Amino acid sequence: MLQPDSLGADSRRNLFSWICSVDHKRIGIMYMLLAVFFLLVGGVEALLIRAQLAVPKNDLVSPQMFNQLFTLHGTTMVFLVGMPVFTGFSNFIVPLMIGAKDVAFPRLNAMSFWMLPFGATLLYFSFFTGSAPDAGWFSYAPLSTKPFSSLPGVDYWIIGLAVMGIGSISGAINIVATVMCCRAPGMSLQRVPLFVWIMFMQAILIVITIPPLNSAISMLLIDRMLGAAFFEPARGGSALLWQHFFWMFGHPEVYVFALPAFAIVSEVIPVFSRKPIYGYAFVAGSSTIIVLLSYTVWAHHMFAVGLGMGPNIFFAAATLLIALPTGVKIFNWTATLWGGSIRFTTAMLFAIAFLIQFVVGGLTGIMFATVPVDWQLTDTYFVVAHFHYVLVGGIVFSLFAATFYWFPKISGRMLNEKLGKLQFWLWLIGFNATFGIQHLLGLMGMPRRVYTYDDNPGWALCNGISSAGAVFMAAGTLVLVWNILKSMKSGAVAGNNPWEGFTLEWATTSPPPLENFKELPEIKSRRPVWDADHPDLADWKSEKTPEDRGHRPAGAKVAAWSFVISEAIFFILLLVSYVVFNSGDEIEGPTSETALDVSRTGFFTLILLSSSLTFWIAERCLRRDKIGGFKLWLGLTILLGCVFIGGQVWEYSGLISNGITVNRNLFASTFFTVTGFHGLHVTGGIIVLGIMYMLGRLGYLTSKRTHVFAAVGVYWHFVDVVWIAVFSIIYLDVFK
Amino acid sequence: MMLIPELWNWDSLVWLAIGIILLVYFVTFKGMPPLRRFALGLGVAFMAVAFVSPIGYLANGYVFSAHMIQHLLMLLIVPLCLILALPKQRVASWFSDTPKPQLAKALVMIGWIGGVGAMWFWHVPNLCSVSTQNASIGLLRDSSFMLAGLVFWWPIFGPLESTRLSPPSGIVYLFSACLGCTLLGIYITFTNSIVCPVFAQSVDSLGIMASLQAAGFTPMVDQNLGGLLMWVPPCTLYVGAIISLLCRWYKVLDPETIKGPVASDHEPAHLV
Repeated sequence: MLQPDSLGADSRRNLFSWICSVDHKRIGIMYMLLAVFFLLVGGVEALLIRAQLAVPKNDLVSPQMFNQLFTLHGTTMVFLVGMPVFTGFSNFIVPLMIGAKDVAFPRLNAMSFWMLPFGATLLYFSFFTGSAPDAGWFSYAPLSTKPFSSLPGVDYWIIGLAVMGIGSISGAINIVATVMCCRAPGMSLQRVPLFVWIMFMQAILIVITIPPLNSAISMLLIDRMLGAAFFEPARGGSALLWQHFFWMFGHPEVYVFALPAFAIVSEVIPVFSRKPIYGYAFVAGSSTIIVLLSYTVWAHHMFAVGLGMGPNIFFAAATLLIALPTGVKIFNWTATLWGGSIRFTTAMLFAIAFLIQFVVGGLTGIMFATVPVDWQLTDTYFVVAHFHYVLVGGIVFSLFAATFYWFPKISGRMLNEKLGKLQFWLWLIGFNATFGIQHLLGLMGMPRRVYTYDDNPGWALCNGISSAGAVFMAAGTLVLVWNILKSMKSGAVAGNNPWEGFTLEWATTSPPPLENFKELPEIKSRRPVWDADHPDLADWKSEKTPEDRGHRPAGAKVAAWSFVISEAIFFILLLVSYVVFNSGDEIEGPTSETALDVSRTGFFTLILLSSSLTFWIAERCLRRDKIGGFKLWLGLTILLGCVFIGGQVWEYSGLISNGITVNRNLFASTFFTVTGFHGLHVTGGIIVLGIMYMLGRLGYLTSKRTHVFAAVGVYWHFVDVVWIAVFSIIYLDVFK
Repeated sequence: MMLIPELWNWDSLVWLAIGIILLVYFVTFKGMPPLRRFALGLGVAFMAVAFVSPIGYLANGYVFSAHMIQHLLMLLIVPLCLILALPKQRVASWFSDTPKPQLAKALVMIGWIGGVGAMWFWHVPNLCSVSTQNASIGLLRDSSFMLAGLVFWWPIFGPLESTRLSPPSGIVYLFSACLGCTLLGIYITFTNSIVCPVFAQSVDSLGIMASLQAAGFTPMVDQNLGGLLMWVPPCTLYVGAIISLLCRWYKVLDPETIKGPVASDHEPAHLV
């Protein structure tokens, strides 16, 4: 069992104390356990898929069931395994590595976690309705629209994803704020361990990449529930728009998984080579570049839809470009290994296998960046092989490395190395057998997402090998589960620093106490624990790194800005959809010119904008401790917000009484979607302002807490700025 | 096509601007290191390319994508080269006091809004057509691009350390600017409506439009290409600038060099 520790010997058996916990380590562990559970669920789905495909003309599962299996397998592995497991490691390790007591917002952290089982329940509850989602993990329109998927499976998929998306964004904002605001003295941002830097980049990427998905699924839900036609070409919508929005999320999402893998390997390889990483700045800098570039390449998933030669060439070039910052890192890791005193622990074996297999996945990725190759191979098993080499050969292997590397810190016990190596070889053989052969199947033209196949020459043998390989991976997973259970009970005691690691998490006990550190070593380089253990060979004596200037922004401000950026992207995409559907040819029925009263809404726009001014005055009053003035101006702000909402209700009721509803035409759909979401944001803002007002009245808000009120201000001003964009685009028609 | 003599505007007014820039530079700054002079030379060469070469001719109401290349040169490349040509120490010596933080902040705001806004402003359909047809409005547009470009790059590569953004803020500045031009680029690339009507019915003074259109280069394809040019090359340039910011960030700076202006005019390696 676990050693007595911060987790509390008495409360450890108490499930309730886990449910109520706001400790980053416990929440991290819960994330990981949830991911392991769904890894097993998604794994069983994968095994069923491979069992069905093991022989030609198999009828083990029905075509309908097969569609559900690959849809849920993809969705589960992405949203319920990949995202949570990395968030779990990030939660557990990042605060330790930067010498913090906890994350910046522990309660928000708990909320982020609990959104996940909530979303997962919604997703899997669809089974009980008799129609699990079956439109693929990317739910391409128009297949996912009501005429083609009339049962509620897709609705559960949408709502499950929306709930989990809220959790992911709030969790990511927390990591961003933690890294920016909670670093121990001496740890400049240029000195954080690479794991911290890259997870920081990943968190930023989550903040900006989930909103396109949220925009897309909100619109799909409005299509399905309220009868709009954003994605129904038969009624004037655009199926292509769904693909753009989805892949604007979907491609950066690949880097949401790849970056943590890079982060893990950048810690494991140096420690087991007993060398500092080769080219820290290159690894860190190239991760930053990846975040930026990952946003510019999405349409390479759409080469086959007929975007035209120009877009295809540009996206192909951008895709080739993003291979560079990824390739740089491969050289950094290899150069770190070079001349190192390598220890082939299980963690290191997995890291090295990652290196090789990820390169294979990367190279086939470069093949796909070439448009003609993509046309030939898209939607074949070559694609399946490619992305499994990235996601399994790369990312899952790095996860195993992380498991073996940090398990001693998390539990206080070592994992059994013999069982670990057995698991490694089972996975290495199983993985390459399953997915390596699929390159051949793809080249031979076997299509993906088809529940069975004819007995073409060679297909039965290749599929047989592929399915047999899956059994090895399943066996390897069982070995890991057994290893974890056995080691928890009777594994060797780990001690503080079993691997002779370099970073701060190894400076505390295993598992760490509730407050994480009794005392911290001095931080003067990127490897403070190494420096403390080897004072003569300390890094700071030989290599200078930028000093910490002690600047730590207020957490509330960082969180507010991150949230606002995320929301801005959400609105930008909704506005893009408005422009797409309203700038082209004449549409039938009402348009903004015929249906909207610009001068009336102009008046209410002035009302909303003046609420920003009154807010600003309220903030000034608070800063000077003039609570009376603060309450007056804040009350006025709330009133102005309510008047604006009243104006919107007036406008809506007028439109609805004229028969202009969300399902009338694409103008009405986009109009109600954009202004409706904006109205919801204003309403949310009014509620928060109301809470602030009450806190002011009760005496909790004083000049010392201005930063909290200022953070609310960031949001309130943002809502106004969004309205300026909405008003110019919809009411003033600047794009016409 | 480059060989067609009619496509070259040898009598362009841009020579006058180039002459003035060179004169002012060499009178003000004497004995500059070769790398700075090279940056200056590159800047004026790109000015010439933008107006004298066939790009200048085709941009003038003929081909939308050429028009876009001209904009990019004037807004991004030429000002960048000119800013890099400015010697840090000399410029810093003009300002006895360090500018107030508020002023530096305001410069950043103006720079961002100017850099991103110029592109948006001049592509409002009517303005786009008018500025192409009317020479004086065209001149106004080109000089506004140049000015916007200078204030845009100033917080990143400007010679005054005190008005430069810190590298992390600089990354946010450039990345958000990339999103700004991406949005407009996406719109121009994928929209079905005509953004700049004058290019849809271009006056075919050379009689090459028919053959271009027969080869598939229709006004719509032209516009798509223009949108992509507005979108991808600037972002690539910004990523390059971000890489240089990252280098600056990870470089260990001695306390002395952080305080005073960097004496880099004798150090060609420290151009940025």
